[in-house]
Amino acid sequence: MFTIGKLAAQAGISTDALRYYEREGLIVPSGKTDSGYRLYNKDSIRRVQFIKHAQHCGFTLAEIVELLVLQRRDAACCGDVRSLALEKKLQLESKIRTMKLMSKALDALIESCANEFSPVDQCPILCALEQAALPERAH
Amino acid sequence: MKVEIFYSAGCTRCAAGLENLKAAAQQAVKQLEWREINVLEEIDYAVDLGVLTLPAIAVDGVLVFASLPNVRQFRDCLVRRIAKEG
Repeated sequence: MFTIGKLAAQAGISTDALRYYEREGLIVPSGKTDSGYRLYNKDSIRRVQFIKHAQHCGFTLAEIVELLVLQRRDAACCGDVRSLALEKKLQLESKIRTMKLMSKALDALIESCANEFSPVDQCPILCALEQAALPERAH
Repeated sequence: MKVEIFYSAGCTRCAAGLENLKAAAQQAVKQLEWREINVLEEIDYAVDLGVLTLPAIAVDGVLVFASLPNVRQFRDCLVRRIAKEG
């Protein structure tokens, strides 16, 4: 059994993060000491690794809860998990497009500033930001 | 009218009720083009239309349902669009 500090050290996250995971229903201590301190077992380490891997793939904590629910549901199948992964990919692809558009908008602003020694009240970037709306996301 | 269903292979949510929706569309629309799209095979197109959740339905290139509607909602949507087109 591990205390919260030991679990945090083993998993490479903070004790605050572990307490937050507990509040969000992602992890449950397997017991408590007589003094009321949380105790965790090896499954908790595996659970934290699961959460970290899922976060690296872009899943939010709420979505990770959904994955964990699917993991426990007898009627669920791989296709259901795959579907959540595909939805995450769609969201990421959409964000990438939006960010590329933002990057292009910045290209245009950077190009508009030919003289970096001009006084700031003549800064074409600041003027453009004040005057023009950035391009809307294409659908 | 082109109706496109974006789905993920093996997803139970996606398969449920799809046949009923197809039958409703066939009843409501005379010239129907029905496409069932495995989103992984046309992910760029799905992102173009703004598909973020599965299953999703687009009509004539516009995303109209971000999840599967019931038959009545779907039929109403198609009928409204037909009326709008005149």
